Amino acid sequence: MKRILLLCLALGVFAGCGKGTTSPSGEAPANPKYLVIFSQCNNAEPYRAAQNGLLKELLAKDPEVKLAVYDGQADAAKQISQIENAIRQKPDLLIVAPLQRDALTKVMGEAMAADIPTICLERDIIEPNYTTYIRCDNRKIGQMAGQYIVDYLTKKNGSPKGSLVELQGMKAVEGAMNRHAGAHDVLGKYPEIKVIHDATGNWMQDQGMDRMVEALNAHPVGIDVVYGHNDPMAYGAYLAAKEKGREKEMVFVGVDGLAHEGAKYVSEGVLGATFEYPLCVNKAVEIGMKILKDSTFTPEKTYLMESRIILPLSK
Amino acid sequence: MVLPLQKLKAAQGLFVLLVIWLLAVAISPTTLGGENIFLSAGNLTDLLRATAPVGIMALAMTFVIITGGIDLSVGSLMALSAVVTSILLTSGSPAMPEGPRLVLAILGGTLSAGLIGLLNGGLIATLRLQPFVITLATMIGVRGLCRVLTTNEKVLLGVGDDLPGRFADMFSEKIWMIGSFLFLAVVCDILLRRTVFGRYAMAIGNNERASRYAALPIAWIKIGVYVLCGLFAGIAGVFHAARTTTGDPNAGIAWELDVIAVVVIGGTSLMGGKGSIPGTINGVLIVGILTNILGLRNVDSNMQLLLKSVIIILAVALQQKRSRT
Repeated sequence: MKRILLLCLALGVFAGCGKGTTSPSGEAPANPKYLVIFSQCNNAEPYRAAQNGLLKELLAKDPEVKLAVYDGQADAAKQISQIENAIRQKPDLLIVAPLQRDALTKVMGEAMAADIPTICLERDIIEPNYTTYIRCDNRKIGQMAGQYIVDYLTKKNGSPKGSLVELQGMKAVEGAMNRHAGAHDVLGKYPEIKVIHDATGNWMQDQGMDRMVEALNAHPVGIDVVYGHNDPMAYGAYLAAKEKGREKEMVFVGVDGLAHEGAKYVSEGVLGATFEYPLCVNKAVEIGMKILKDSTFTPEKTYLMESRIILPLSK
Repeated sequence: MVLPLQKLKAAQGLFVLLVIWLLAVAISPTTLGGENIFLSAGNLTDLLRATAPVGIMALAMTFVIITGGIDLSVGSLMALSAVVTSILLTSGSPAMPEGPRLVLAILGGTLSAGLIGLLNGGLIATLRLQPFVITLATMIGVRGLCRVLTTNEKVLLGVGDDLPGRFADMFSEKIWMIGSFLFLAVVCDILLRRTVFGRYAMAIGNNERASRYAALPIAWIKIGVYVLCGLFAGIAGVFHAARTTTGDPNAGIAWELDVIAVVVIGGTSLMGGKGSIPGTINGVLIVGILTNILGLRNVDSNMQLLLKSVIIILAVALQQKRSRT
């Protein structure tokens, strides 16, 4: 009886899977000439979901290209074996958004050794085992945020002085370290700007909110700026301040600027500003297509994607 | 002999709570006017609201652990409820009046989590498979389901004056979140101590074989506790969605461990057969106060993790040791 039940369950699950899935995710055009494989480190993050979406959209326009996207599920071992699997398929182009710098270096070297043009996306690896590297600069984004904060405080208080609450991303992660360091490159020049509360929200909106409640209680007056290392945390901080009727007292600054998240919050007047962390995918497609179709083209070793500030339209 | 021992144990738990409380009062920062910030009504209710979702899930988890089981899927179930509620709120037809839409969204979220609880309980009771394995599987599967339902994106409720915005405003009110936690706590306490369901659950955890010989309806009781756990995770999910104005498919990752931790700090034995609702509330308060005061003091987050682990071990060790004598 037990076995029959189990069997039914298993069959049910497989039957359910059979219908809706299009795995590996990607469309198969009528006559694909090129195979492009994208090894994404973790589909579950909104930024990465946006990358996947844009890549699929851009490549769907080209009937000669067949795209397959692999999800490393935030697991370096899984991403490595998926890239190994990709190498076996001899793709014409491999794009990798590596989960970790060191863990993925070797396997990307194997792809290069197999003569597969390899684009390293957004995150660095420790050896230059790539054809080209398309990067963003978190330090610079941090500096832009720091400059915005200085300008805002100068306008509000007459000179660059005031109190700042910082909500950090996950400790020991490159993004959090450089978004912090970049901001303080600028803020450090103004001794009258004080960080009065410095908490870790681990990139999560709910944690950003809880940490902000504590900051608000610890400082019943006089918070000028909240700097969140990403938009969800800045938004969580806004919600916490709104609950206490204090959201007008301060300005909220985020980073990432995804269209349906940070950019939307800015247009709604929730965030004072956010700084786009480029998806890098459009550049990857531009360079990748040149590599595929133009044999005379030699890509540069790195391309730096510029960030931009996103402000409310009314200002 | 049993009665005074239990009383003593409850007193141990309260002792830990008292120590943490006094510590918090002592090290709390003060306002410019010299007022103790930790003790302010605003901060204490903030603290209770922040712990309410974990607290609500811990109430039901107490029943599961008392039967000798475990439910690892509560974090995923909370996310499922948050996601389903948010989708129903944002996609409902505007032709439908708002009242029914609101009720439908909340019920939809809560019941979808309850349904998975039923699946958990059903599989555990009828196939007699280990709760750890079954709920581990649903934890993974339901997380996937949440991401499929939302195509990996958060469902935003917004802060506007439409139905989703008003839902978020209303259910993130302290009166709703803290009130629900307290109300459910009273219900659970009565359920555990004063009803046949609660006594049978305790008996199964104490000695499942003897319970079987006594012809207790073991399967039904087990299904009952996992359905309860699913429903409570569902309620927590509704509040999480309201509070964060977001149906986040990645909400509640690793929360099952927080929930189990507060239940265990509250003196419930992972071996089953022992535990109480006041104990669990005590555990919720110990962790809640600790998180709050470390936040107010702006202690480095890595240091917070270290301190918390020490206090969890101390709290459990203190209760274990005294209860044996």
